[in-house]
Amino acid sequence: MWFVIGLIAGAFILFGLGKAVDATSTNDFCASCHVHPQATSSWKQGVHYATQSGYHVGCAECHLPPKGQGYLVEKIKTGGRDVWSNWTKDSTEFDWEAASTLERASKHVYNSTCVKCHENLFPAKLTREGSDAHLYYKQMTEKGEELQCISCHLNAGHYIKDYVHGSNKGFGLAQKQTDTIYTSPAVVTSFDNFIEQIPGSGISFHMIAIPGGTFTMGSPESEPLRNPDEIQREVSVDSFFIAEVEVTWDEYMEFYRETASEGRSTDTEGSRLNRKNDVDAITGATPPYGKPDQNWGMGQRPAISMSYHAAETYCRWLSQVTGRHYRLPVEAEWEYACRAGTETPYFFEGDPAKFEKRGLFGGKADTAVINTYIIYRGNSPSKTQEPMAVKANPWGLKNMSGNVAEFCSDIYEGTTEHVIRGGSYRDGAGGVRSAVRDHTRTDAWLKTDPQMPKSIWWYSDCFYVGFRVVMDTELKIKN
Amino acid sequence: MKKSPISRRNFLGTAAAAGAAGIIVPSLITSCKPNAKVILPVMLDKAPDGPLLKAGLIGCGGRGTGAALNFIHAGPNLTISALGDVFTDRIASCRERLAQDGVQIADEKCFTGFDAYQKVIESGVDIVLLATPPVFRPEHVEAAVSAGKHVFMEKPVAVDPVGVRQILASGEKAKGMELSIVTGTQRHHQHDYVATWGKIQEGMIGDIVSANCYWNQGQLWYREPNPSWTEMEYMIRDWVNWSWLSGDHIIEQHVHNIDVINWFTGKRPVSAVSFGSRQRRPTGDQYDNFSTDFVYEGGIHVHSMCRQINGCENNVSEWIQGTKGTSNCQNTVWDKKGEQLWKYDGYKLDAEGKMTEDLAISPYDQEHIDFVTSIRTGKPLNEAEFVAFSTLSGMMGRVSAYTGKLVTWDEMMNSEMKLGPKVYVMGPVDVPKTVPVPGE
Repeated sequence: MWFVIGLIAGAFILFGLGKAVDATSTNDFCASCHVHPQATSSWKQGVHYATQSGYHVGCAECHLPPKGQGYLVEKIKTGGRDVWSNWTKDSTEFDWEAASTLERASKHVYNSTCVKCHENLFPAKLTREGSDAHLYYKQMTEKGEELQCISCHLNAGHYIKDYVHGSNKGFGLAQKQTDTIYTSPAVVTSFDNFIEQIPGSGISFHMIAIPGGTFTMGSPESEPLRNPDEIQREVSVDSFFIAEVEVTWDEYMEFYRETASEGRSTDTEGSRLNRKNDVDAITGATPPYGKPDQNWGMGQRPAISMSYHAAETYCRWLSQVTGRHYRLPVEAEWEYACRAGTETPYFFEGDPAKFEKRGLFGGKADTAVINTYIIYRGNSPSKTQEPMAVKANPWGLKNMSGNVAEFCSDIYEGTTEHVIRGGSYRDGAGGVRSAVRDHTRTDAWLKTDPQMPKSIWWYSDCFYVGFRVVMDTELKIKN
Repeated sequence: MKKSPISRRNFLGTAAAAGAAGIIVPSLITSCKPNAKVILPVMLDKAPDGPLLKAGLIGCGGRGTGAALNFIHAGPNLTISALGDVFTDRIASCRERLAQDGVQIADEKCFTGFDAYQKVIESGVDIVLLATPPVFRPEHVEAAVSAGKHVFMEKPVAVDPVGVRQILASGEKAKGMELSIVTGTQRHHQHDYVATWGKIQEGMIGDIVSANCYWNQGQLWYREPNPSWTEMEYMIRDWVNWSWLSGDHIIEQHVHNIDVINWFTGKRPVSAVSFGSRQRRPTGDQYDNFSTDFVYEGGIHVHSMCRQINGCENNVSEWIQGTKGTSNCQNTVWDKKGEQLWKYDGYKLDAEGKMTEDLAISPYDQEHIDFVTSIRTGKPLNEAEFVAFSTLSGMMGRVSAYTGKLVTWDEMMNSEMKLGPKVYVMGPVDVPKTVPVPGE
């Protein structure tokens, strides 16, 4: 008797639970706590709401894995997290824009869910460009490489203004209107700061004269949050000029417009395609795939997404149009300029461990000082900022630390990759110290480029690296 | 390249592709499990009956006409209802030949010009048979599949990597639409080859350690220019001698043998280093000999040779070596001492009851029987990927010989190389016409 009652009760509970699981996965239920009107409206503007069949794909259909593939586990985890956030946090303080970046979106969109509905990656009306991209996806997945649907279709769930996934042929073709068009480069007669002018454009930028000297490169073992590759040694550098700020989009686009080529070449046809190389003409970047500026805006923000090769080609082009010798900095020059005579973790006073509290009981970080000098995770978790957002270092250089990491021409020891320095908007306080080192990751940064062959000009998956130009001086320097 | 799930899947895909209706390919047939009993694909002697199937032939030369005849004789209720070619004389000769077999094609169903394929596809056919020079194949397959047509296509299927990827994507589209794509790599439909393949899969020669393949023959046909022809017309009429039209003979002809190696090993080449040259070919820009060292997945070396020069030693065959024995891939397996372990015994018998080496049904007929059977039984065959990979394999050899450089699978798969002029019109042809010279 009790057994039967138990059975019936159990059945009711299970049935009820099933109901509860469904009831707590409706759009209304989601919206009852997730108070983010912008996400709701962008969802309603998106292609998964206004589907051709009239069916509205709901929140839980993309933001939870398919049933039977970890649905309940994930539901309990995210449900728990959401309830906690709802009690303890103020949703108006969330950076919703940051939550929409690919990096963050990958954590709450499930590929298994995408392909559960989109079983056929090659529908009859798929374009040739789409076919090539899906073929790439198929071959990569078969090799065991993880590729996300939203790497290319980030706007599938929520509408994103001006989102492009595809060859962006129109990129940067419109020239900025300016009053002044420089007819010649700047005249430099002494080893002093000057303003370089790009002939034929309205673009100029500040170059800072850095007298040579000897300094201690790397960091002491006692430095908080130090990495083992920051070995200390005495290094001497000659005098050089270095740009006040990272190469801006305005500067970079001048190069792009002047040298961009639409066609792509291949060297696999043997010598019958060997044509005379015009050594004087610099062939520049092909159109990017997607939006290299990530829709963050261009102008004075640092140019990003360009490959190391593209940055080097930019320097060659700049040298040609100005008649001077521009290049990427070597690592020692970079750190010398960044430190600007300081030997502390930053070029201003402060303790990395106090700026960045690690661990659950780390307490609240004291970030008032670092916030005024560096764009890093603490004040710009999701994107680059314009140089005016920070104060300069003692030698007048901005954003040496943070904002975007910068290419150096050295090879990082033990790899075939180039050194990058300075950390970026993605790093914590420990990652933007003057001694922090890192290197390029060519394969990973091209992972989602579906073009064949992959672009040598644009990284499809790296938005936190830019560069700064250095100019050699032939002027006699008195020390 | 590591042995990844993909190679095994391809391999099984081929197994499925090799047969016709109701094939059961147990999942235990993989190269990791030798000695398992291999169930060979069922190949019927005649395709089953069904509602009338109308095919359009695109490319009405010798092979196209042959394929059309193979098709209509594959079973009951099959016909050719439209013809397309760039040349009217080709249409006329094909029409005349088909009439001898009782197939009449109306004037309004005969289309000429570079867009004839589009008109054939739109003429109300269920199936297209594609037999133009291979440079046109990717575009034709793409159009046919997008229009929901089943496809029989001659090998090779492309002359460049861009075309190979177009074939791969069309093949995937066809899967989604449950369309059949059968290709003219007819050894997959040849009883003796299929039976031998089964023995190798069962482990009769052990693990495969190396392989060789050959297509060495005399000079192939060619045409001299004719003053009344434009350059484009001349090149197409002389197509087996021009690299942009045929892909060169390492692909155009030798793809058959490379395809057998890919099929029997269940692997594909990772890299290739190739020699080649042009000694005696009278027209065009192609080489007339290639010798290629392919390295396959797992470090297996495969040597491939092809030649089209008169008065030399000829040989068209494959050879595969394993840890326990060897096979000619066609009908015989030997042990390491040269003792015969197995020989195919399904050939026709002669008047005295002795076994010949002739098959009762030619593979050219069998491939169409299997094609029609797959359509009528609703069990689509899709050989697009396999033949695209074989074509790409041959292409590695060509590019390596032309450049003198090592060429990898990944390089070729990712290459933007596209041969031929940007647009097809009768008139001068804007392509390089010099013979490639390797090295610097």
